[in-house]
Amino acid sequence: MLNELLFRFAQWLDTHQWSTGLHESYYMYGWVESTHVLTLMLFLGMLVVIDLRMLGVAFKDTPVSTIADRLDKPMMIGFTVMVVTGFVLFYAIPVRTTTSIWFRIKVVLIIAAAINVFLLRRVIKKSGHTWDNDPVPPKRIRIAAGLSIAFWTGVIMTGRMIAYDWWDCHKEMPYFMYWAAGCVNELAAYE
Amino acid sequence: MDLLFFFEWLDTSALADISKAYGGVFAVVETFHTSAMVLLGGMILTGDLRLMNVLMRDIPSEVVIRNTEKWFGFALVVMILSGIFMMSAVAMKLYYNVFFFSKMVGLATGVFFFYVIRKPLLNQEHALINPWTLKLIGGTSILIWLSVAASGRWIGFS
Repeated sequence: MLNELLFRFAQWLDTHQWSTGLHESYYMYGWVESTHVLTLMLFLGMLVVIDLRMLGVAFKDTPVSTIADRLDKPMMIGFTVMVVTGFVLFYAIPVRTTTSIWFRIKVVLIIAAAINVFLLRRVIKKSGHTWDNDPVPPKRIRIAAGLSIAFWTGVIMTGRMIAYDWWDCHKEMPYFMYWAAGCVNELAAYE
Repeated sequence: MDLLFFFEWLDTSALADISKAYGGVFAVVETFHTSAMVLLGGMILTGDLRLMNVLMRDIPSEVVIRNTEKWFGFALVVMILSGIFMMSAVAMKLYYNVFFFSKMVGLATGVFFFYVIRKPLLNQEHALINPWTLKLIGGTSILIWLSVAASGRWIGFS
């Protein structure tokens, strides 16, 4: 049901002239994709600095809250640019992206990273910053920081893998893979 | 100096046998390359924007530089090692690619700038250095590494 809905939505986007134009534009698509990739350095680069501090392996003499606060703004600027360019890239190739298993894993990882940040903020608020100056923060903070790095590394990896067609719908795959990738037409052919 | 012999050697090396035969291994190494780029870019931006007095103004720039340099070095090693592996898969194609050579020139300039100019200069107390010199160092460094990343990305489109 959800697969069907997403597929129809992607097909509808694909009928837009702008979508085709963007996909077929040599320079514009390249510029948008390059901006998306290069902004990784701003968003995730800053996030890594914060996570490394929370892991207790960098900036040990600086309070965690100071590092997080000072890097928050550039990080959010990077995040905004990444989200906007990400949507534009999706808009340019909606059907293939929607039915990409890598894209789907990427979205799940982004959601997992967001939940991790939400829980981490709650833990930080509850603890009242008692460990703010500790060179090595408590274990649960370090675990959350480690998870953050792991999730975002996964996002980078799966994002890069979208370019490969190993498990695209036109390939022969087991039923589960067609389902997981949302290959609606191939699933219908199975039934 | 013509580097064709090096590219021909790399193209027929054992490394190329692996990178060409196993697409999955190539893709995984490529993601390590991108992850290292994120780490390197983050450290460069944090350090250089501090030198330019844009970020973390209340944290001494010596502290920021000291903490970012170590991770920069680690990321650079991962990037170079993974880069050589990736290069072996398409060595002959890269020999004729202008963006690849522009990336290599940028990389060599960046490494030279970092270890021969930036690092020795910033090893002294920053209060003794003209603030405009610090800003110039930071701006130049960002521009060099941005050109490396941008030309690297453009290799894929050419």
